[in-house]
Amino acid sequence: MADMQIKTGKGTSAKGGAKKNIHVDLTPMVDLGFLLITFFVFTSMMAKPTVMDLRTPYDNTTETDPVCNSCALTVLLDRDNVIRYYEGAFEKTTLHTASYNSIREIIRQKKKTVQQVRGSGKEFVLIIKAADAASFKNFIDITDEVAINDVRQYYIDEITGAEKKEMEQPGIR
Amino acid sequence: MGRAKIPRKSTTIDMTAMCDVAFLLLSFFILATKQKPPEAVTVSAPSSVSTKAAPEKSILITLTKEGKVFLMLGDDTKKKEIIHDVNVTRSLGLSEAEEAKLSKMPFIGMPLGKLKALVNLNNPLPPTQMEGIPIKDTLNNEMVDWIKSITNAYAGTDQAKLQEMLLIKGDGEALYPDFKNIKYALKKNNLLKFRIVTNSENAPAGSELYNKMKSGQKVDEE
Repeated sequence: MADMQIKTGKGTSAKGGAKKNIHVDLTPMVDLGFLLITFFVFTSMMAKPTVMDLRTPYDNTTETDPVCNSCALTVLLDRDNVIRYYEGAFEKTTLHTASYNSIREIIRQKKKTVQQVRGSGKEFVLIIKAADAASFKNFIDITDEVAINDVRQYYIDEITGAEKKEMEQPGIR
Repeated sequence: MGRAKIPRKSTTIDMTAMCDVAFLLLSFFILATKQKPPEAVTVSAPSSVSTKAAPEKSILITLTKEGKVFLMLGDDTKKKEIIHDVNVTRSLGLSEAEEAKLSKMPFIGMPLGKLKALVNLNNPLPPTQMEGIPIKDTLNNEMVDWIKSITNAYAGTDQAKLQEMLLIKGDGEALYPDFKNIKYALKKNNLLKFRIVTNSENAPAGSELYNKMKSGQKVDEE
């Protein structure tokens, strides 16, 4: 029954033998069909790229956006997947080192502190500065952290000379 | 003895119908899945938690591991216009036939000065041998010219649509300065909002985004 039955109508006359049915077992063919279906469904589902919005500020503006010093956390994306970060103003603080795994906790902690001091986590500002040796992935990862931790204000800036100097210090490096 | 005999029934089932269904579904799925647009070169995009799907029509700027930049104009209606505009503004001296030839190519990955030679090649140059669009320094950032022509071609149409179409796809190992130069080219043409192609990944458990998504809040990505 699990097969195709083809009646050979002329079987009797041609060879004089008994009526024969040709049976083709279709089970493996069904298996193959469904295997291919699963394959195509899965590949089409997986190969769906997503997009991430990125906004850059208008450069030629004279508007300044005052940021409270204690609200700011600056991350410097260094080479070899290392992050250097400091809190507040650069002159009054020291550079710390973190990895892309530990930066999330640091951002979260900082946001919490800002929330306690200023009453709202929205005042927390993350400043991202990437060094020339940082990779594109590093940059995407950190902007992704912005989305993950719901950081409301973030800026992408250039590394200043003083910061570069500090990053090259033997104690840091 | 007194036991009633149960007639043995065959347990085999007719598979013909099932086979038909399987292959019908298969052909449906094959035809229904959109074909991947041709890619200049393969790049492995980094992943992000973003859940927005990439638009079908796009102007894709691809940045490879080596720092080469390719431009893919996905909107066929404007492609000729863009190429014509570049030809005129940068006086490349391409004839109409050469322009048409260039617009038939799936992507652009050569410096402006070498486009004429490229279209007149007998054998098409494989993308791995292309130099990419020069972006290295701000003085000779040819991406600025391309983007300018793109904005010219889309002038008068919905600018929000253009912004939605602008995609940058970069390899994770590409260096940041290259991306910065592409950003510079867009910025120079007053395109301050663009999109980056990423692979999707789930929000890490316990994070704020994760909690938001779980509680069904709308996640705004402003």
